[in-house]
Amino acid sequence: MIEEPYRWVEAIANRREYIETQLASGSPIAALGYRDGVLFLTLGGSRQKIFEVYDRIAMGAIGHPGDIERLRMAAIELASTEGFTRSAADVSLRRLVHYSLSPVMKSAFEQVYGPPYLARMLFAEVGVRSEQDLFLRVEYDGEIATNGATFGQARQDFAALSGTRQSREMMESFLKAEHAPDASFEVALKAALDAWAIGHMALRTDDAKELPDSAAIRKYRQEQLASTGIEAGILERDPNRAIRYRILLDKEVRALIND
Amino acid sequence: MELSPVALDQNFSGAADDFPALLRRKGMLSPAAIVDPIGHAARPNQTAWEPTKATTILAFKFSGGVLVAGDRRATSGNTVVYDRADKVLEIDRHSIMAIAGVPATAWEMARVLEHSFQYFRRTQLQEMSVDGKVRALSKLLRDNFGFVMQGVGMVVPIFATYDSNSKPEARLYFYDAMGAQFEVADYAATGSGSPAVRGILYYENNWGEKPLQKLSEDEAVSIALRSLDTAAESDTATGGVDRSGKIYPLIKIVSGEGITTLPDRKIAAVFKETVA
Repeated sequence: MIEEPYRWVEAIANRREYIETQLASGSPIAALGYRDGVLFLTLGGSRQKIFEVYDRIAMGAIGHPGDIERLRMAAIELASTEGFTRSAADVSLRRLVHYSLSPVMKSAFEQVYGPPYLARMLFAEVGVRSEQDLFLRVEYDGEIATNGATFGQARQDFAALSGTRQSREMMESFLKAEHAPDASFEVALKAALDAWAIGHMALRTDDAKELPDSAAIRKYRQEQLASTGIEAGILERDPNRAIRYRILLDKEVRALIND
Repeated sequence: MELSPVALDQNFSGAADDFPALLRRKGMLSPAAIVDPIGHAARPNQTAWEPTKATTILAFKFSGGVLVAGDRRATSGNTVVYDRADKVLEIDRHSIMAIAGVPATAWEMARVLEHSFQYFRRTQLQEMSVDGKVRALSKLLRDNFGFVMQGVGMVVPIFATYDSNSKPEARLYFYDAMGAQFEVADYAATGSGSPAVRGILYYENNWGEKPLQKLSEDEAVSIALRSLDTAAESDTATGGVDRSGKIYPLIKIVSGEGITTLPDRKIAAVFKETVA
């Protein structure tokens, strides 16, 4: 079937469509750099989606749990061996993703007789200052998107991950307007919750073009919070902390939301 | 950085490996030394090379947790190599490893251990249990035993940890060079100066003013200093307290709140008042 180039392109297109359908229901994850660190947040979900990878690196992922687990393990292995041989400061998220994860995901995706990775991941590396925070989104086909810091693109201190492109873009345009990197934790937390609500609302409609107004967001957020749990984690910016990653418990986060 | 994407192949083993095994798979840690006593015996006249050694560490439980102390001297044969050696090492928020023996091996072990605990937490999404931690160090010692038989790389550590989920909360272990672990109820001491220290701690615990576990922090520091000073009195490899150079033993305390390193000025004050 795939001896002919045309067939190969067709097979890849089918595969892309299949994976997109599988990922489409994935609950959004928002990652925001704020004054004292980087916050990861999502709601609902019966299984854990936000993880510590290394000293300054954390990740969020949607997709098949088996695939996420394998990629997560690989990322931890690579970061740990590098950090052991040299030092924690020498572990680079950029290199981890560009050199190690992306090529593997690309080749798994394009070898149409083998299984692709059904996963979409968002990595963040906390910097000494918020300008140095790095966010990298890796797609199932190895495609990488960053938070800027490249030529011709404004730098953003946030990133979003969601089941559909439309949902993700809505979250991004919201955060672009509402989020500032010097925000306090409480402000960043609100923004993350709203971004999640917007992303989740967009998953339910096919043609969401405009951002919902703030009353609608608030209402939706309250409805969802009443029935689902919050999963959140932070990477502390303070380099003197022995362990920089910390899981935030549901009740800890709820105490800070006074709706 | 040679990170090969091959690590993600379909047979990728994930967490089946512990961290040292992962390092060995990637060629980043020397393989477990082969025990070769015959080879050693067959070369009795080889050039006498004396590895650098560190000596005399002690630990005991007191009212505020576990106190771990070590003198600062590192020696090679009759030579004092270093008088500010750090033999009391923090492994994680609640664990301390103190070392007597060859620092080159011991510091490497501490590094492997520190990374092992973190690797476990990150991959398994939970803290390693106290038993797991104790066993991890035991395994590193066992892997090193071949070097011990060859006369290099002997390490005899003490491991102290605090786990609020277990009873008792403060846990204290010492090891032999082959990796056997011994949990102790009250105190432990290893290294060349340890016989004197054990004598003092046994005496204090049974017939002193009060048992070790009832001591206040200042009293505990005082006993630690007196013990190391006594050890240094008869053991040349132990530094004790350097009165002229103002070099004091390193003392760390592990409790429910984590690890605190006592500042020199505090140790100096206790020393001046109760020891000197």
